[in-house]
Amino acid sequence: MQDKNKLTGTPVSRIDGIAKVTGKAAYSTDYPVKNLAYAVLFKSTIAAGTIRSIDTAAAEKAPGVLAIITHQNAPKLNVDGGIRGGALLQSPEIEFHGQHIGLVVAETFEQARHAAHLISVTYDRRDPKADFEKLMKNASVPKDKDKADAKRGDVKAALREAEIKVEAVYETPIEHHHPLEPHATIAEWTGDRVTLYNSSQIVNGAQTAAAKTLNIKPEQVRIVTPYIGGGFGSKGGQWANLVLTAVAARQVNRPVKLALTRQQMVNSVGLRQRNHQKVSLAATKDGKLTALAHETTTHGAIKNEFIEPCGDCSKIMYDVPNSLITYRIVPMNVILPTYTRGPGKSTGSFALESAMDELAHTLKMDPIELRLKNEPERDPSNGKPWSSRTTVQCLQVGAKAFGWDRRKPEPRQNQQGNYLIGYGVACGTYPAHQRPTSAIVKLKRTGNDVMATVELAAADLGTGTYTILAQTAADALGLPLSQVKVVIGDSDLPPAAGAVGSVGASSYANAVNDACQKITDELLARSGKQFFARPTASQLMLSEKLTDFQTRIDAKPLESAEEYSAHSFNANFAEVAVNRFTGMVRVNRFLAVTGAGAILNPKTARSQIIGGNIWGIGMALTEESVVDPRWGNFVTRSFADYHVPANLDIGEMEAIFIREDDQKANRMGIKGIGEVGIVGVAAAVANAIFNATGKRVRELPITPDKLL
Amino acid sequence: MRPFTYTRAKDPAAATQALAGNPTARFLAGGTNLIDLMKEDVERPTALVDITNLSLAEIKPITAGASKGGLSIGGLGKNTEAANHPLVRQHYPLLSQAILAGASGQIRNMATNGGNLLQRTRCPYFYEVSMPCNKREPGSGCGALEGINRLHAIFGWSEKCVAVYPSDMAIALAALDAVVRVRTASGQERSIPFADFHRLPGNTPEQDTNLAHGELITAIDLPQNRFADRSYYLKVRDRASYAFALLSVAAALEVSETGNRIVQARIAMGGVAHKPWRALTAEKMLIGQEATPANFKRAADAEMAAAKPLEHNKFKVELGNRSIVLALQMALNGGKA
Ligand SMILES: Cc1cc2nc3c(=O)[nH]c(=O)nc-3n(C[C@H](O)[C@H](O)[C@H](O)COP(=O)(O)OP(=O)(O)OC[C@H]3O[C@@H](n4cnc5c(N)ncnc54)[C@H](O)[C@@H]3O)c2cc1C
Ligand code: SF4
Repeated sequence: MQDKNKLTGTPVSRIDGIAKVTGKAAYSTDYPVKNLAYAVLFKSTIAAGTIRSIDTAAAEKAPGVLAIITHQNAPKLNVDGGIRGGALLQSPEIEFHGQHIGLVVAETFEQARHAAHLISVTYDRRDPKADFEKLMKNASVPKDKDKADAKRGDVKAALREAEIKVEAVYETPIEHHHPLEPHATIAEWTGDRVTLYNSSQIVNGAQTAAAKTLNIKPEQVRIVTPYIGGGFGSKGGQWANLVLTAVAARQVNRPVKLALTRQQMVNSVGLRQRNHQKVSLAATKDGKLTALAHETTTHGAIKNEFIEPCGDCSKIMYDVPNSLITYRIVPMNVILPTYTRGPGKSTGSFALESAMDELAHTLKMDPIELRLKNEPERDPSNGKPWSSRTTVQCLQVGAKAFGWDRRKPEPRQNQQGNYLIGYGVACGTYPAHQRPTSAIVKLKRTGNDVMATVELAAADLGTGTYTILAQTAADALGLPLSQVKVVIGDSDLPPAAGAVGSVGASSYANAVNDACQKITDELLARSGKQFFARPTASQLMLSEKLTDFQTRIDAKPLESAEEYSAHSFNANFAEVAVNRFTGMVRVNRFLAVTGAGAILNPKTARSQIIGGNIWGIGMALTEESVVDPRWGNFVTRSFADYHVPANLDIGEMEAIFIREDDQKANRMGIKGIGEVGIVGVAAAVANAIFNATGKRVRELPITPDKLL
Repeated sequence: MRPFTYTRAKDPAAATQALAGNPTARFLAGGTNLIDLMKEDVERPTALVDITNLSLAEIKPITAGASKGGLSIGGLGKNTEAANHPLVRQHYPLLSQAILAGASGQIRNMATNGGNLLQRTRCPYFYEVSMPCNKREPGSGCGALEGINRLHAIFGWSEKCVAVYPSDMAIALAALDAVVRVRTASGQERSIPFADFHRLPGNTPEQDTNLAHGELITAIDLPQNRFADRSYYLKVRDRASYAFALLSVAAALEVSETGNRIVQARIAMGGVAHKPWRALTAEKMLIGQEATPANFKRAADAEMAAAKPLEHNKFKVELGNRSIVLALQMALNGGKA
């Protein structure tokens, strides 16, 4: 793809950048809808039980109050309509602390918030199931068939007969997505059709879920979400706040705005679940793996399961004849867990890649060499050939660029003043898929100017979708970037895949490219001429003197893609400095080398990767949502308590991409980079900490107290 | 947040009078703590008296009285200005470091020196109104005592409250023996030695300080000292900036001109108690001793022997020990490792 004359593959700055920094880009709550009323949620103060009474008398009398909606007067909604996490005000049952129990609608936000304080609720309280350490013992086989035990060979025997064995348990805490833009909605009814301005990573998914839950037709719901202030999975599925805003707007017969507070985010829009992962590795003395078992125990919500696939990396990363991947789950009084950046892979790789580091140390072998020795030729989980696999290159290129040869093989050998220095490495992977996506391309000629508009119900999380689609269309149509307009984030546009699971770029860009090829073909056919070299659509618009022309495509993934196993791969390198008195850790340098197919825009791609890396560093060192097991509440409800990395936590960040032309995965060879950037990061940091201090911390986050 | 009235005081007398008549009125300074707590429904004042217009922001040398030769810092000066003032940097670098270790640039630009001293605990049970908390609602119980108390006290706590006091600035002020100057509701001036300003929780955790309702902090006086070359503020935290201290140590040493002998030592700790914790045991042990790592360690051991950790904060005992040693070492070396 990196053609000199092409825009794709070049570091174009985000075309929506100026609109964003000047405040012109309208996010969900920025729409100047007239006659708005404001809604505020009120939430349960217990984690398990039943509401006995809700006294709204004082609140109803408070100034400005228009409506108070609780389970006692809410309209009947379809609780199986696709809204995640319940809390739709359909019953008095409480399943988690901070469950929505009602909504106050008032003339102003302040009035609504004030009235919410005047409501008093009584409960019949039950002891919550909130102590994962205790609950874990009752975990059982999940209902989800995808999470059934996956066995190859005989792991037990291989472990029994192993020359070398590593067995350890790795713990990861509950984390929250906490996008900068909290979830927010404006609902506006016109007749029996509702427009929902609402951040949604899956535009059509939000439309369907809202319609089904509200018991109306999808055509009666329009989702508008041109800009999204981050989502990380929490805006993939939709939550009660979306539908409750529509309910409130219908009730008061006015448009209504509902924005969650940061504190409300911890129990409104999902979370990354707590995982207890046991990894067992068996190997020969020269470092050939003979068995790998990855057994995860986790929790769901009370009624529904969600399991992030922690064993996924272990399925495909290494060539090992005997393998076992299992999941066990127990219900817990928390909001339903959900997809969170690098679902399963980020947490699972922490366990697997820490264990590999432990094995390398036991074997007195370089951890890179150990990985090279166990490189699989095909996907071990299904025997399919790789569409391409870059692990070896990532490791080799990374080792050289990072100065891996300066690493001391034994821990605690590198002290500089009050600091112990250590190097760590860990690999990662994420599957690459393309999903069906439709797109319309419109061409308009005015004089000698041709302008293109590309339309599809895609979503841009703030990562550069607008820009890469403009680059793709500009190349495919023979136009400069400034002549291409990208219109996305609206369910009235042709249906598209979600910006989830790293499928966005490949699904959208392939669809746009296909649409541009199709429009060129149609223009060619229409001209009835023969050309020596294929002209561009823009040239044809001029030569044929057309003023308007458009086409639509329903792009599908390659059928042949099924024959291959397609994944992005990476190798992460971390250098840490640990204060030997206080245990404070700083990641001085971090390098991610990634093979993710065609890189449409190295600038936005780099931001994606280092963004993932930084979250991974947060996962390793600072981020944790803590539940008080007595009451099931989170004690970490704001950014003062839930520590995402601050600027000062981050040292030198470097991202290198391995050049790949993987047309087996999809026509444009795009693999997606949204998730892979966080995979393997926590392990690289933890391994570096071991190399620095000789302490193996198997419980994230690695806060100073764990290193004393 | 509940409805409240807002007025702006034109002078200190008007400010104190406005509060004197209304037990639920509050001064509003930078608002970085008070407004947050109002949004969470923790603080519910009925009236806010904005004091930011009072001319009490000056930083000036003290030319008379008990603190003569020292420096006076206005109660309504901004944290940023105090930290960056040349006289503070030159004579009280410990204070400058402590302020800069706290919050973020934006917050320090809003936060005032008086407001900083009166910021309330960060105990999560205090912040969430559905939880029991004796400090917020006397008699409701202490959520942290048997709860998630990793961040809580190891010294001086009571069954009623195990919270820690969060300010960084105040830890340096405690080490520097600052004096808080106050204007009372009746218009009198009074001075409160720093050690007597904040309280241990005892049976009344709802009372953070010995300031009476309606008393206005007009200034903080710093007595002259000989610590400027040998002081250090060490803050241990879960991330490198914008996090409250797990534990902090403000250390200052005066050593003999001839040798390495300690003439005076000051050690105050943050993140360990309901008030800035002066490590008096350690200080006493150091006087007259040589400034060596072994002596620092002996002093730290003696101080930390009295610690009473809770279920989740046992690490603070070892961390406190190491931090005292490191802070003293850094102070001795003029802030360099
Ligand atoms: C996210 C975050 C992180 C922070 N991190 C840190 C940190 O790491 N370290 C740290 O030390 N601090 C930290 N802070 C706290 C910050 O330093 C305080 O909020 C600030 O110093 C308070 O000052 P203010 O002027 O805004 O006080 P306000 O919020 O205006 O007032 C606080 C209280 O003091 C009273 N008051 C104010 N001025 C006077 C006066 N002159 N006389 C009498 N009463 C008065 C008010 O009535 C109120 O009760 C953080 C704050 C936030 C929001
Ligand atoms: S420690 Fe103090 S502030 Fe925290 S819950 Fe207990 S009483 Fe409240």
